[in-house]
Amino acid sequence: MSFQGLISGSECAAPANPLSQVLKHTEGDRSLQQDRVSGPSTSRLHQLPGSSSSAPATEHDLALARQFFEGNSSGPGMSSGYTMQYPPELARMSEMSMNDRPGMSDVWALEQQQQLRALEESAAKGAWAAEFGNAPQQSSSGPSIQHAMPGGQEFQQQRSSFMPMYAGSMPVAMYGLSSPMQYGINANFTAVDHGKGKAREADFEAAFAKIAESLGPEETQTSRIEEVDERVTEIEEKLKNATLNAGEDEDLNFQKVWDQLQNSDLPPPKEDMAKWEAEFSQLMNAQREELEDYGTNMQKAWEGGVGDYAGPSQGVKFDGEGIPILGDYLFEKNNKYLESESRSYLSDAKQLLESNGSLSEAALMLEAAIQRGELGEGGFETWILLGETRNMDEREEAGMRALLEGVRIAEQAGAPGAGMLSLAISFTNESYDRASHTMLVRWFKAKYPGVPIPEETAKSIGTNSSWDTHERITHLFMEQARSQHGQDQMDPDLQIALGVLFYTNGDYERAQDCFVAALNVRPKDYLLWNRLGSSLSNGSKPEEALGAYREALQLRPTYTRAIYNVGVACLNIGADKEAAEHFLSALSLQESTNGDTSDQLWFTLRRALLSMNRSDLADLAKPEAKSNLDVFRREGLDF
Amino acid sequence: MSDDIKAPGFKASELIAGLESAFSKYSDAEKQSQIKKTNGIFDLQVSNDAKETVTWTIDMKKTGTVYKGKAQPKADVTIILADDTLLDLASGKLNGQKAFMTGKLKTRGNMMLATKLDTVLKGAKAKL
Repeated sequence: MSFQGLISGSECAAPANPLSQVLKHTEGDRSLQQDRVSGPSTSRLHQLPGSSSSAPATEHDLALARQFFEGNSSGPGMSSGYTMQYPPELARMSEMSMNDRPGMSDVWALEQQQQLRALEESAAKGAWAAEFGNAPQQSSSGPSIQHAMPGGQEFQQQRSSFMPMYAGSMPVAMYGLSSPMQYGINANFTAVDHGKGKAREADFEAAFAKIAESLGPEETQTSRIEEVDERVTEIEEKLKNATLNAGEDEDLNFQKVWDQLQNSDLPPPKEDMAKWEAEFSQLMNAQREELEDYGTNMQKAWEGGVGDYAGPSQGVKFDGEGIPILGDYLFEKNNKYLESESRSYLSDAKQLLESNGSLSEAALMLEAAIQRGELGEGGFETWILLGETRNMDEREEAGMRALLEGVRIAEQAGAPGAGMLSLAISFTNESYDRASHTMLVRWFKAKYPGVPIPEETAKSIGTNSSWDTHERITHLFMEQARSQHGQDQMDPDLQIALGVLFYTNGDYERAQDCFVAALNVRPKDYLLWNRLGSSLSNGSKPEEALGAYREALQLRPTYTRAIYNVGVACLNIGADKEAAEHFLSALSLQESTNGDTSDQLWFTLRRALLSMNRSDLADLAKPEAKSNLDVFRREGLDF
Repeated sequence: MSDDIKAPGFKASELIAGLESAFSKYSDAEKQSQIKKTNGIFDLQVSNDAKETVTWTIDMKKTGTVYKGKAQPKADVTIILADDTLLDLASGKLNGQKAFMTGKLKTRGNMMLATKLDTVLKGAKAKL
């Protein structure tokens, strides 16, 4: 493959050390000029014999390889040093362009050169080591290049999604690669000129840091500054020398890694390269947009004094794996069970649940049990039961908090798996897709400890978007389901998990199949009937959904969530009055325990009342209004 | 008020107007809970068959409103799609990912947020 040829460089006229060849590329994508002007090494790359590979693929490979080299050789070493040390220099640079004294630039450039050399030597070493530290271990596994690439994570993250759409415009995007960044930097430089003067240097430093941050390590390359300004070009030249000098020091380290890369028999497949290519260009385009906006924004901010920046975010915070950070479970005040005497609230609650008692009542008992330290098996049983009860009672937020606590304790107690599926479902309902995926994978790990999870999949959870992880996880779960099927087994829990996965992605028909399969094993599981129902309902089959909900409610008449879902189905059919009545009956069920009611129920009730053109009633239907439900009864709503 | 937000020649006008009126009737608590869940400003750059383009903004970060025109000060994500695609997304015929994969939907900015568009556009949803 052409990529191999590029790496080994054996037939090139360039020096034997491939590194020097690589370094040629560090100053920017000059490939077009080099094609015409310089030696055989680059021109050869463009005119590879047609027999070795098809033309378009070669083009892509080359472009990719070029990016790869650029990114590796100049990117990390410079970017870290550059970001930190340059703002003052840049500010000076702009001042100088104002003064425009010809003699000075030479002196200054010399000074710069020395500084640069020092900077290069110190910064580059660390960066090289960090950059390539991972490579040796990975070189044996397939596409090792992918790991070594800076920003590789981002590429993976969007790999699946970008590919089909950008495939068509790839060659164009490829050549456009370097220009967007130049524009971006240009904008910043203009801004500097506007903001000369001491007081503004600080502003600029902040701005620069911000830009550098938004660019990410792989874009902050010296190469991009090349055409910004004549003086910068000068520095650029010096820089090149500096890079080459410093490069020799790195030869040893680099050579090692390089050899390993070369010896790897498995070059990355062509499709991957094309994907990276497409994704990269997409990323660059996105960055350019950001930069343009940023440039104008910054200018406005300077002109108008203090900028109007976004205040503190009101959104939910997430941890590294996308799990929402919700805080502690909030116990209900005035829990009547705290005062009364009972042997065991846990067993009382279980009994109540068995006998179809009120869910809110059972939840209060479980809360009392926890507050009295009766945590059940492993210290997590009561928490998880409380969470599941809350969810059934259409109290998702409370349910999630309790389940999060339960899952945490279970993991600490060395019994992971408990409650995870319920929690994943809860996340799905709240559209926390990443959290749902994370939890499903954790559940899978706990449930099938013998089944290896591909490293890529495990890694993608922390970094990639839910669109990407969904595909990976679905694949993992499907494989497991297939292998079980091969052994004539069927794990209903695995089917549920798969159903949830399809459901997250709006693939409701396949979700239905999964829930039906699980129902064949557990026909008395009202939770499953409800899940089948909501897959039907969200899949635009609300009429059929009602049948499934009916099954659920026959098995469990106090199942608030199923009642809520019936209301939603009615709402989607257009039976607004019936919908409102169902929501009201669910609310009255909750109210009968003197406990809190579900905000979600009130919100949806309001929606139904608005559709009925009864905004007078909708005003009463606010959770904070705490209206007596009799008001609605008097208005002719029957529940 | 609703008429200002509509754009002639765009089928999605009705949808957006519906969203706007729904949002305007939200109680504060509802708004807060939506904002908490979504926490993003979306620009929808919609083009129709006549190659006209209109931009609507769904602010689910600060004000909880829908309006015509670009986001002020700045959208977190810009979603570029056709009129019909938007309708399909809202009706659930198409999900965001499928639209994205087939090139019917393009994004600029924070792509992670684009995954939440489905939730914003859709009305009442059944729960598992």
